[in-house]
Amino acid sequence: MFHISSQKKYWTFDNEESLEQLRCEANQKYRNKMLASGKPGVSDAVFLEAHEENVLFRHYEKRLLDFCNAFKPVMPKSVVGTAIMYFRRFYLNNSLMEYHPRTIMLICAYLSCKVDEFNVSSTQFVGNLVQESAAGQERALEQILEYELLLIQQLNFHLVVHTPYRPMEGLLIDIKTRYPLLENPESLRKSVDDFLTRVTLTDSGLLFPPSQIAMTAILNSASRAGLSMESYLTECMGLKEDKETLLKMYDAMRRIKSLMKKYELPKPDEVNAYKVKLERVHADFGTNSNMKRKRGYEDDDHVAKEPRMTEEVSETTYILATSASTFHVINSLLCFLGGVDG
Amino acid sequence: MDDQGCPRCKTTKYRNPSLKLMVNVCGHTLCESCVDMLFVRGSGNCVQCDTPLRKSNFRVQLFEDPAVDKEVEIRKKVLKIYNKRDFDFSNLREYNDYLERVEEIVYNLTNNLEVEGTKQIMEAYQRENRDIIQKNKAKLTREQEELEELLLLEQQGNEQRRLETLQEEQRQLQAKRKSKQALLDELERSHVPATILLAQHKDRAAQLETQIEKQKQVVKTTIFSTGIPMGQTVSLLTVNRLEEVLYHYQPIHMHTYGPPVPELEQLGRLGYLNHVRTAQPQDMAGGYNSGLACHRAIQDAFSGLFHPLG
Repeated sequence: MFHISSQKKYWTFDNEESLEQLRCEANQKYRNKMLASGKPGVSDAVFLEAHEENVLFRHYEKRLLDFCNAFKPVMPKSVVGTAIMYFRRFYLNNSLMEYHPRTIMLICAYLSCKVDEFNVSSTQFVGNLVQESAAGQERALEQILEYELLLIQQLNFHLVVHTPYRPMEGLLIDIKTRYPLLENPESLRKSVDDFLTRVTLTDSGLLFPPSQIAMTAILNSASRAGLSMESYLTECMGLKEDKETLLKMYDAMRRIKSLMKKYELPKPDEVNAYKVKLERVHADFGTNSNMKRKRGYEDDDHVAKEPRMTEEVSETTYILATSASTFHVINSLLCFLGGVDG
Repeated sequence: MDDQGCPRCKTTKYRNPSLKLMVNVCGHTLCESCVDMLFVRGSGNCVQCDTPLRKSNFRVQLFEDPAVDKEVEIRKKVLKIYNKRDFDFSNLREYNDYLERVEEIVYNLTNNLEVEGTKQIMEAYQRENRDIIQKNKAKLTREQEELEELLLLEQQGNEQRRLETLQEEQRQLQAKRKSKQALLDELERSHVPATILLAQHKDRAAQLETQIEKQKQVVKTTIFSTGIPMGQTVSLLTVNRLEEVLYHYQPIHMHTYGPPVPELEQLGRLGYLNHVRTAQPQDMAGGYNSGLACHRAIQDAFSGLFHPLG
C-alpha cells in the first residue's frame, strides 16, 4: 500500500525546487569528478548544463514511452508507468553525461517488466528493437545485463512503484457505487487515461501520492466534459467538515494541473544540438572502453552481469573476487592502478 | 566380515574368522597368534612403526578402524585426569572451552602431534587440580556403583519373572494331565454312559482355561513406570505463583492518510461488487473472488488521498 511504501518514505519530495536542486547537484558532481580527474580536453564548455540535460531527458523519456507503447506483446500500463518512474528516479541522482540515456532507457523497461511480473524473456525483449540487426540486439542485451545491477543500486533497491492506474480504477468503482449523480463514469475513462499518460511525463509522480493524481485526473475530465463532481469530495469522502484537507486537495490538484501545462515536448533542433554534445562527452570521457575489453572475455563463457566501472573501488574488488581466471585479475588490477582512463 | 588382515601373517585372518585382532598404543593391529609369536621371541616392537611395546598393552579390537581404538584408549586415559563435569563450571562458555581443550589434547596424542608438549600440559593440569580430580573420581565411582545396583536389581527382577512364568506353565501342564487322567479313570470305573462323561470333562477343561486366563490378567501393578512404588506419598513442592499482567490484544492501527476503506466482507452488501468483473469458475477454484480485487482497488484509491505533502 502506498501509505507504508518506500515510495512515500524516500521518493516523494515536497516541491519542484528540491527536485531541481537534486538534478543540479548530480550535474555538478559529475562535472567536479571530471575536472578533478585531470583528463585532457576537459573544460566547462564541454559539459551540458542542467537545463540542457532537462531537454535531453524529456526527449529520451518520450522515446521510452514510444518504445513501451510499440512493445510486443502489449505492455500493461503499470509496467510503462514503472519504467518511466525508474528512468526519472535514476536521473534524479545521476547525470546524463555519466550514463547514456539510450542504454538506461532500455534497462528501465527491462527491469520494470521483471518487477511488475510481466514476463518477457530477454531475447523477446531485444527482439523489439526493430532497427537493430541480430548482432546489434545481442550487444544491446549485453549492455542491459551489464547495467541492470547499477540501476537497481541507484534506485536504492526500492523497486516497487505505485502508479496511479489502480487508484483510478478504484475511484471509478467508488464513484459508480456511491455517487449516482454522475450517470456514466465510463465515458470519462478515455480522457482520464489520456491525462494519466501525460502526467507520467511530468514530475508529479515524485511529488504527489498516486491516489491524488488519479483524483485530479477524474475531476479534470469531469469538468472538461461539463459535469460537476464537487459534491463527490465533500459528501462521499466525508470532507464537508474538514475544510483544511479539502483545501489541500484542491491545492494539490491545481499544482498537478500546472505541472502538466508546463510540460512541452522538446524542440528537435535543440535536441539535436545537445545530443551532439552528449555524444562527444560520452566518446571522450565515457567508459566505453570497458565494453571493448569485455568482448575479449566472451571466449571464456564468462557472462558479465556486474557493472565494470573501474572508478568504483568496491566494484573492482567485486570483479577481482569473481573473476574466473588470473588473467582477468591482472587486467583489472592494471586498469585500476592505471587510473580512470584505463 | 573383516576386510583387513593381520599385517604380519596376512593370510591367517581370512582363513580363520574367529581370530581376533588386537590393538596397541601405537594404533596398529596384530592378530592374536602374531602377538603371541612376537612376545615369544622376547622382542617387543611393533611391526609397522617400531615402537617398543608390552604384551599387556594389547587390547581386543572393538572397532574396524584401529585408529579409533587407539583414540578410545587415549581418551579413557585423558578423561581419568580431566574429569570435570558440567556443573563444575559457572557458565556454558567455560565448560565449552574446557571441553575444547580436552579434545585438542586427545587429538594431539592420537595423531602424534606435539606429544611432549601435550604430556607436559596434562601433568601441569594434574598437579594443579589434584583435589578436584580426587573428588570427581570419588563421585564417579559412587555413580557407577549406583548404576550397577540398579542394573543388578533389574536383572534380578527379570530372573524372578522368568522363573514364575516357568512355574505357571508347569502347573498348567500338570493340571491338564490330571484332568485327563481323571477322565480315563472315570471312563473305566463309573457306569454313567461315555458321552456324558466326555461332556463333563469338556466342561471342567473349559473352566480350567477361564481360570488360567483370569489369573493371567490379574497382574499386580506395584510400581509406576517412573519407578515410584505405588502407595508412596509424594510430597510436591509448592509451585510459586507467577504474577504477570494478562495480555490484552490491541488491533494494529495503521494510518492510511485517506478516507476509511469498507471491510472486505461489506463490499458485496454495499454494492461495490456490481462494478467489478465477476470471477470466473476457474478463478474461484484457485481461491480468488471478485471482492479481493475490488478491495485492493479501493484501498489503493483511498490510500494517501489526504496526504499533507503536496
